[in-house]
Amino acid sequence: MVVLLAGPAAAQTSDDLFNPDVLQRVDLWLNSKDWDKLKQNFQENDYYPADFVWNGQTVRNVGIRSRGLGSRSTTKPGLRVDFDRYATDQTFLNLKSLVLDNLTQDASGIKETATMRFFARLGIPASRETHTRLYVNGQYSGLYALIEAVDKTMLARVFGKIGDDTQNDGYLYEYKYQLGFPWRFDYLGASLDPYKVYFDAKTHEDKSDAKKWGPIEELNRLANDTPAASFEQTINPRLDLTAYIRYMSAQNFVAENDGFLGYDGMNNFYFYRLENSDQHVFIAWDEDNAFLSPEFLTNTRHDENVLMRKTMALDKFRSMYYGMLSEAAVSAGEVAAGQANGWLRREMERQLDMIAVAMATDTVKPYSNADHAAAREAMLNFAAARISYVQCDVAKQTGQTKPAGCQ
Amino acid sequence: MRSLVVVALLVLLATSASAQQKKTKKGIVWDNRPSIVFGKNINLEVRMKLQLDWRHFDPPINRDTFDFRSLRLGLKGQMTKHFDYEIEREVDTTKWQAGAWKDVYVDWNTYKELSVEGGRFKIPFSMEQLTGPTDTDFAYRSLASSIIAPGRDKGGMAHGRFFGRGLTYEAGLFNSDGDNGKLTQPQFVPAGQPIPDVGPTFAARVTGTALRGLPVPTTLKSLRLGAAYTNGELPEGLNSLRGTSVFGKKYFSPVYVKGRRQRLGTEVEWTPGPIGLKAEWMQAREDRLQQGNRNEDLSDFVSTGWYTSGTWVITGEKKDSSLNPKKPLFRGGIGAIEVGARYDELAFGSASQSGQAYTNPRADHLLPNSDQVWTFGVNWFPNRWVRLVGNGIHETFEDPKRSPTTGVTSYWTALFRLQVVF
Repeated sequence: MVVLLAGPAAAQTSDDLFNPDVLQRVDLWLNSKDWDKLKQNFQENDYYPADFVWNGQTVRNVGIRSRGLGSRSTTKPGLRVDFDRYATDQTFLNLKSLVLDNLTQDASGIKETATMRFFARLGIPASRETHTRLYVNGQYSGLYALIEAVDKTMLARVFGKIGDDTQNDGYLYEYKYQLGFPWRFDYLGASLDPYKVYFDAKTHEDKSDAKKWGPIEELNRLANDTPAASFEQTINPRLDLTAYIRYMSAQNFVAENDGFLGYDGMNNFYFYRLENSDQHVFIAWDEDNAFLSPEFLTNTRHDENVLMRKTMALDKFRSMYYGMLSEAAVSAGEVAAGQANGWLRREMERQLDMIAVAMATDTVKPYSNADHAAAREAMLNFAAARISYVQCDVAKQTGQTKPAGCQ
Repeated sequence: MRSLVVVALLVLLATSASAQQKKTKKGIVWDNRPSIVFGKNINLEVRMKLQLDWRHFDPPINRDTFDFRSLRLGLKGQMTKHFDYEIEREVDTTKWQAGAWKDVYVDWNTYKELSVEGGRFKIPFSMEQLTGPTDTDFAYRSLASSIIAPGRDKGGMAHGRFFGRGLTYEAGLFNSDGDNGKLTQPQFVPAGQPIPDVGPTFAARVTGTALRGLPVPTTLKSLRLGAAYTNGELPEGLNSLRGTSVFGKKYFSPVYVKGRRQRLGTEVEWTPGPIGLKAEWMQAREDRLQQGNRNEDLSDFVSTGWYTSGTWVITGEKKDSSLNPKKPLFRGGIGAIEVGARYDELAFGSASQSGQAYTNPRADHLLPNSDQVWTFGVNWFPNRWVRLVGNGIHETFEDPKRSPTTGVTSYWTALFRLQVVF
């Protein structure tokens, strides 16, 4: 089905929509009663119909709902937009859905977007993102991050093709953090019930439980039971360990405190079993608790999580982890010609400048402009400090010669 | 409970062989049912309606195979020759306590040309809806007359007949819009303010034997045509009529409405001898003022349904009145046996058909969906009180994504019903 486009139909793509160099403007038009109801019932996942307008193009009757966990807000709801909610084949720029992140947990406004750009740079499956001013029924409703949803469209973009077949028809799960039941990959038992709770199936919903969650139970069991000698041989066909280590090193570099090795167990990721394969990979998601501190230990919570502990027990992956952490530091510090600062600092500064006015005029954000200014400074100071710390700590952990300036 | 029913059934079967007492004497009498006769035109009849269903679904649809469909107890009678009355209440068989009130009315009928009825009773719309559940040709009414027709409500109504029953009319004003059209979703009202109800509703119905006075074969003279109309206020909310299958599975969710709900119905019935042919078409149109995504008016929400059915009493009894076996079981016969078939359909959508169709409750062009139902039936009346019903029901849903089981559009149901009425 072709999306209804009103106004100038320029040849635009989803890359234009998520262009990180552009502060976008998105308009949502929905019945005033529905907007009131959505804000009132912001803890519910009820969908409401709306018209979505971007850059002169209108998509009629999309479905929007409140989203988030700790970020849910009645004054500034985070929103999920499903273009195909009410018309199965409706897409917009080939997208089925996207997310409007309300940035309520991040006074800087760029933790999520800066992290995802950095992750993409490191080769980690991550959403395209930029910022947008959101207008609801013609009223400015705040600064949001515009985030590519993790769905089949995104999978196809990230994983490409296998022969003539697009790699997007595997089994996709969103990890569901359970408050009060932190999980660190200890074996949950043979019953598939707990896996159903933690791994919300986003594709192949009509398949049997055994097909959907059986392989995850198997991975969980084997990761717990397999001795070091056969760990790689047993686990790697079921979990891309190299990709996993890359993801862990990147999350550590950005000092993500609520990720796979989060403070309250695993959190904030998608899990994808590749099409026609038993192998799983992680997909980054919701990184707005990153940049906790430049002195975030490079081995933070490695021993708490079974999967991380057993993987890091192998010299190969331990070396790989610290090697990738070093690469991340190098990438973050890469200085372009004529520039004084490294890539990460420049990217943060660019994003902060881009959103400055929109952030200042956002009257529904749950923090003050002074809070934002302080967060801005902290972010800008993070990059260089983190690079130095990681380089020193990697040398310490691996027994290499410490760079100059390390304590 | 089931054993109690079987005993009641045997008693009624045996009773059919016994002599019947007439209303000619005062006191407690048996006049096809327990009655108290106080005097001429003053009496009270005790009524009971019982329906038990056993069902088999293919594919399964998460419904119990046994259904205690209905148990109603009531009183009906006359208070002088000027007034009739009826009180009937459902028994909630899940808790064995009093359930919903059904008919509760008084009817002043001194003049057959102008009678006045007041209380709670059926809004005059749809021939099949106005037929009692124990007198319908098939186990279930058609979807149209179950969902579009309003059903019961509190109100007042004038009604009458001319030329015998050659021309009948009913016209009344009702409190809301009937049990079938009642609001089930929250209304948009400011906190602390009362929740508005749908209605009041005006309803009128006219039927007539149009060929009665014309030089046509006698068999054609029983052909009866009718038309009905309702009009009621509809407060703002997610409260349109909604599509549910024969067994209550949702196939069209309600949409936001505000304004008026109007219904138009037509009907035809022809009962030559043991044959019964019936058909009805009806449509409801509901306003959707200011219900768009930009608070704009939307095109009407339209519910359209119809059915046509044919029955044949193979034992020869006439179809034009309540079927009463000429030769009941144990009284020289086998009772009455009737076979029949019905096709019915109920579709939902919007008046607007332009542009992309959507399933959302605020779309101007709604993606339609319909349920098409074939019903094949056999009724066996061993006597006037007992009826055994066998129905085969086949439902087909237009939209596989909005069928009881996603992707499955075709459903068969076999039903057996035991019905006891006095």
